[in-house]
Amino acid sequence: MKRATLYLGLSLIGLVVLLAVVGIFWTPYSPTAMVGPRLARPGWPHLLGTDGFGADIFSRIINGAKIVLLVGIVSVSGAALVGVPTGIFAGMKRGWAGEIPARLADILYGFPALLLAILFAAALGGSTWTAMLAISISTVPAFVRIARAATLQVMSQGYVEAARLSGTPSPSVAVRHVLPNIAPVLGVQASVSFGIAILAEAGLSYLGLGSRASEPTWGRMLREAQDYIFSEPIQALWPGLAIAVATMGFNLLGDGLRDLLDPRLRELR
Amino acid sequence: MVLRRVLVRAAWLLASLLLASFLIFAVANALPGDMAQILLGTNAAPGEAEALRERLGLNRPFLVRYLEWLGGVLQLDFGNSYIGNRPIGPLIAARLEVTLSLTILGMLLAVLVALPIGAYAAARRRHLDGAAVSALSQVGLAIPAFWAGIWLVIIFAVQLRWLPASGYVSYWDSIGQWLLHLILPVISLALVQGSVISRYVRSSVIEVMQEDYFRTARAVGWSKTRALVRHGLRNIAISLLTVIGLQLATLLVGAIIIEQVFALNGLGSTLLRAVSGRDLGVVQAIVLLLVWSVLIINFLVDVAYQIIDPRLRRAAEAR
Amino acid sequence: MRRSSLSVAVIMALVASVLLSACTRPEPTQSNDAPLNIGVTTRPDGLDPITVAGAGTPFVLLYNIYETLVKVDSDANIKPLLATEWDVSDDNLVYTFSLEEGAKFASGAPLNAEAVVASFERARSESATAQIRDKWGPVDTIEADGEHTVVITLNRPSHAWLYDLSGPMGIIADPAGFADINTTPVGSGPYVFEEWDEGSYIQLKANRAYWGTPGRFTDVFFRYYSDPNAMNAAMLSGQLDIISNLTVPQSIEQFQDESRYTIHEGTTTGEVVLGYNHSSEKLQDVKVRQAISHAIDRQALVNAVWAGKGPLIGTHVPPTDPWYEDLSEHYSFDPDKARELLKEAGHESGLTLDLRVPVLPYAPPSARFISEQLKDVGITANVEELEWGRWLEQVYGNHDYDMTIVAHVEPRDMTAYAFEGNYWAYDNPAYNALLEEADIAATEEEQIATLKEAGRMLADDAAGNWLFLLPSIIITTPDISGVQVNQISLSFDLTMLARG
Repeated sequence: MKRATLYLGLSLIGLVVLLAVVGIFWTPYSPTAMVGPRLARPGWPHLLGTDGFGADIFSRIINGAKIVLLVGIVSVSGAALVGVPTGIFAGMKRGWAGEIPARLADILYGFPALLLAILFAAALGGSTWTAMLAISISTVPAFVRIARAATLQVMSQGYVEAARLSGTPSPSVAVRHVLPNIAPVLGVQASVSFGIAILAEAGLSYLGLGSRASEPTWGRMLREAQDYIFSEPIQALWPGLAIAVATMGFNLLGDGLRDLLDPRLRELR
Repeated sequence: MVLRRVLVRAAWLLASLLLASFLIFAVANALPGDMAQILLGTNAAPGEAEALRERLGLNRPFLVRYLEWLGGVLQLDFGNSYIGNRPIGPLIAARLEVTLSLTILGMLLAVLVALPIGAYAAARRRHLDGAAVSALSQVGLAIPAFWAGIWLVIIFAVQLRWLPASGYVSYWDSIGQWLLHLILPVISLALVQGSVISRYVRSSVIEVMQEDYFRTARAVGWSKTRALVRHGLRNIAISLLTVIGLQLATLLVGAIIIEQVFALNGLGSTLLRAVSGRDLGVVQAIVLLLVWSVLIINFLVDVAYQIIDPRLRRAAEAR
Repeated sequence: MRRSSLSVAVIMALVASVLLSACTRPEPTQSNDAPLNIGVTTRPDGLDPITVAGAGTPFVLLYNIYETLVKVDSDANIKPLLATEWDVSDDNLVYTFSLEEGAKFASGAPLNAEAVVASFERARSESATAQIRDKWGPVDTIEADGEHTVVITLNRPSHAWLYDLSGPMGIIADPAGFADINTTPVGSGPYVFEEWDEGSYIQLKANRAYWGTPGRFTDVFFRYYSDPNAMNAAMLSGQLDIISNLTVPQSIEQFQDESRYTIHEGTTTGEVVLGYNHSSEKLQDVKVRQAISHAIDRQALVNAVWAGKGPLIGTHVPPTDPWYEDLSEHYSFDPDKARELLKEAGHESGLTLDLRVPVLPYAPPSARFISEQLKDVGITANVEELEWGRWLEQVYGNHDYDMTIVAHVEPRDMTAYAFEGNYWAYDNPAYNALLEEADIAATEEEQIATLKEAGRMLADDAAGNWLFLLPSIIITTPDISGVQVNQISLSFDLTMLARG
């Protein structure tokens, strides 16, 4: 019970990762091929039925897991790669030099993912990549803030002060002392951002700004299922469920990690 | 000292607003396929687009157009929309009513629901029902809001026919109809927000319950509720303030999608239309409005903290 | 928990009050005094059909607010509207129109020859769209002869011209209102313009002073939806009386209950074309184009994409045109034949083509289907979905594509293949000559025969692949009568519409 949240989160993510790994090598059918009758109900040989084109939904869900993880990994790691060094820099530097990156991040905070994605889709065309780019950019400020706040805390510790006074160069301090100490907090943020990225992709697909037909993400499937929402509502169930499971997995992981990190809260559970 | 910090922060805000306006103008003007082309659609004759471009003044240097636009914005003159050729200011003001109704009611409902739920989940966190409530908020967080909206429409508008499926009636025309039309969209929006907020409430209540003053109050025989209300409100209120500030951007943007689901003609729908019609004046004005309001609210929350206690915000954010 | 129970009470009260007000919501009465709500998905970019392109504008305004001299009936015959009759000179060059003497504009101003001349001169001036100017091409002079007679002289005989006069190019507007015509249209039709809440609705009111049978409805609202499913939900929940065009035909089942809905299925003039870029090297070979035609099972495509609702066509002619021929079997679904043709064209080892489609309801699903079927014959179609503005620039403007899918909704638009610089880069002098010949033909029979030949020529040449014809699917409540089943003009014609 103590770490139930963590383990539940990990197992949900494990399920998604398992689907994704399987999806890289094998799906029962091609996820785009029209292999069966249209709009078949769940059963055999199409476990979850077929969509309006006669494509196998189970294969599409498996294939979608792959893309969803890709979207999450690329957009979150992209944001972290830019945001974390900036945040650490802002946290270690005093005065204007530290203030400027933090304020730039604040400006970026004013541009939410959806707003960026609308503009990008118009400028570059809607695709999984533009969606990732938009989600990534809008996630940067969260990492800058978290990294900066955590760095400020670490910097006030005695041993970091000692290292600085003994003449260790700043980049070295950042890598050796700051980064390891703030890593857990960043992990929490990454996990939470991952969940948000999955939902953002779904929202973008709903607006027609996300993935294309050739890359059937769960968001895209949900959008397509919507046309059958009155006659075959079950079509909208599977992708919706998949999105919920994956998002919940990452949210729970984030919660679990946070509990682990905060001993004061932990002892209460 | 506080005053100086606030002034510095205000200077940063001005710089941010300026920079943001430049970014917005640049991006909007970099969109491929311009107004002239869209207006002509699939009927354009060769050379016609060029002539129209000239007439619309799209051929002048970028910087000149930016400065002119910014100058207009500062006097609340956003120019005219290409579609319908109306002044953009009043046009946006009309749409703002829709979006504000949606977001304010959404936030209100979210807070109203999240407070008791979060507190309950905190108080009963070691019991099954408390855990169940927490789990419920996890589900709320994981469901796409538009998906929930679609199901709400199917159940309450299509099957039961209790509520309208779409559309908006102005508050000034009929308060009853206004509320009626907003119920489903507001619930869809509040579902996610309520889940987020209830989690903040839960952890801040847990925090309060570990404070010495709370334990003391309990030790002298106060009930949990009484102790919480007497000593915890301030702490919880600060936490709430933070989360509302942080969630504002999400809320405004979430409204864009919800407006589509419920055919509400608010800022989001107008923005999507303006982007696809390359009605750049409208695109710039709406994006500017959204971005500036996020920046300004962020600033206000920040200032509030400078006044209360700067350490609090960091703690709240790290949560 | 006093606090929380308070909030709970507040919420309960809120919910209760709302449910109460929901129960007391007035049921729409069945008379024509109750407003008519029509759901629409195509928005206008302005209210002047002459200067604003796009189908959204004439959809609301034509025949409802603006009238034309002549109108085309459901059998494609040209009938009088504002002109009571017209004489044509023996050389087919001089048209003399006699105007309806009782007609007047909603402003009260008389609709006289002067107003007609002013309207027509505006329509062929520089401010009009190129397409409308082009349609005025055959006209030499437009003159008023007294109060109620207009004489139009052509520079060459033209059949298409008189037909086109029934469309947006021929609207008669009050010259006093030309300045504000893009926001407050004033015409002579059975309805008058009341309000345009851009993006939300357009409201019309019955024209009490109409010269003919006035509009039956006191108020008509054209309500706009971005998400067609939201429009369906609005109809299902009783907020709409009419869905003007069901763009999600998959949902038609939901309206099967005859006690609540009537489904009107007919045809339109919207040909969904898989267009080829004829300047693309790979597609210049007619064998490649024919191979693609053979490779696609169009009936299966319509089943998957449009719920099987669109009729198949074989060239750029809908069944409602007099020169229609059933060419839908011109290219049978025959993947072997397709592979053979590709082999003859030297593409045995495969062929890669860009399929760039706009994000419109029919296009991305069709692209998905087509790319799957082309895969079978060894063609890799890289599908790219472009937002409308990007599509206009990249595909329509810069011809940067191999294949694309778009519906051509204008009536009688075979001429699109003859326009100089058309986006398919289709340039066939023999075809252009046929169209010219047909337009100046001495008799209608001759015109029809020549246009049939032109249609066959497009098909033989596989100038495009006509996937299907967009159906007109109108859903109404059962009490609505006078619905035009076939959508053969650009107008959603309210003239005959009534309750009961």
